Amino acid sequence: MITNGIVETDSPEEFIEEIERAQNVLPKKIDANPKTVEKGLAKLVLILIELIRKLLEKQAMRRVEAGSLSDEEIERVGETLMKLENKMDELKGIFGLKDEELNLNLGPLGDLM
Amino acid sequence: MNNVIAKSKDVTLLEILDRVLDKGVVIAGDMVISVADVDLIYLGLKVLLSSVETMEKLRGSPFIGPMQEAK
Amino acid sequence: MKLYLYGIIDSSDQITDSIYGLEGSGVYNIPFRDIGAVVSQISQPIQDVTESAVLEHEAVVEKLMANFAVLPVRFQTIIDGRDSLLSMMQSYYKDFKDNLRRLHNKLEFGIKVIWPADKIKENIIKTFRNGKQGKVESDSSLSKKFIKEKFDKYKIDKEFEAKAERFIKVMDIFFSRFAAEKKLEKLKTKNLLLDAVYLVEKDKQNDFREAFEHIKSGPPGLKYLFSGPWPAYNFVVLSKKSGLLKDSEQTVLFDKVTQCQALVGADSI
Repeated sequence: MITNGIVETDSPEEFIEEIERAQNVLPKKIDANPKTVEKGLAKLVLILIELIRKLLEKQAMRRVEAGSLSDEEIERVGETLMKLENKMDELKGIFGLKDEELNLNLGPLGDLM
Repeated sequence: MNNVIAKSKDVTLLEILDRVLDKGVVIAGDMVISVADVDLIYLGLKVLLSSVETMEKLRGSPFIGPMQEAK
Repeated sequence: MKLYLYGIIDSSDQITDSIYGLEGSGVYNIPFRDIGAVVSQISQPIQDVTESAVLEHEAVVEKLMANFAVLPVRFQTIIDGRDSLLSMMQSYYKDFKDNLRRLHNKLEFGIKVIWPADKIKENIIKTFRNGKQGKVESDSSLSKKFIKEKFDKYKIDKEFEAKAERFIKVMDIFFSRFAAEKKLEKLKTKNLLLDAVYLVEKDKQNDFREAFEHIKSGPPGLKYLFSGPWPAYNFVVLSKKSGLLKDSEQTVLFDKVTQCQALVGADSI
């Protein structure tokens, strides 16, 4: 048991890893520097699209769970979501943005997604 | 054994940082001439000992500080 | 003379112990009615968040905690003079008094728990596979397969979260018995099952500690971190709007919206 008087743990390395992971560097402010503003705006737009896409997916899952989608509806929703996902992957590639970057930190409200 | 002790010091520091940089009483207003900027909070232990310039290099982007600099 | 602020205490008395803070300056109490602001003089704003500065700051707050109820102030809060400080105390007096009263005689403890997220997910997947009667239609369309994949993942994630909640609930029951207030964060990262802070009365801290030891002997594979006692960093509640977003930050956000609008050529979004 390692103790420093105020912090006690048997696994300091694991906790350091997780704490630092939790403190990930999500920018709180959108960088409005004119040189990078276009990428910043593209990022903002993609974040919003991603938010909507995830909400649509979640909603679809709930309906599948509840069994309230017909066979044909499942087919259609699946196709739409699949196309959306592929499109997003394409756009992410074009702008060189990774999944982790497509998020917004809302301060006390936590992360958007 | 030394490594574990060093790590335990690190985790203590992380716990302190989490509180001291981000929690507690936050005073705002004209009378405050300096406050730990929220951007600093998420940099963790690795950049702790760096100056602002080195922080910018490590993050690979300009350090957006108080309002004057952003303009 | 610029003043570095460490904390607000429930006393207008002078500090009798010799406490030294940043730049090695003596720490003293500036009274305002029946409370006080604990400060030291500082010659220049601190540029860097250095280990030594942070530890010096924290050391002062902890020394205060020994003798007073203290509202810890965020690191690097520098007031431009005694008059400004007193006017600040006036604005915040009621807030400070309420908090000091509420937090009097209480200490903060932090508990963090790590669990093996990947193993847990594997077990969930195994359980689902064993009980599965899903129709595996090999000629299912791409779209249907997509939905099925997403749905399987959805079920696994859902069970994962439910399991996390069950684990946390059990632990929280033990800790809550001795806590006046608490703040819990579930699955901050997939492995960080619980990040919690508890506000515990001074004379219950041993019971609280015992509860932690008891929890540690629970299910294997979990890792625990216990920290404290701290001053009540996480339990200070300021009603003034500035406690949530600094005024300057709000202005920055609005300015950026206007800038974006101008760049995009939109009059209104």
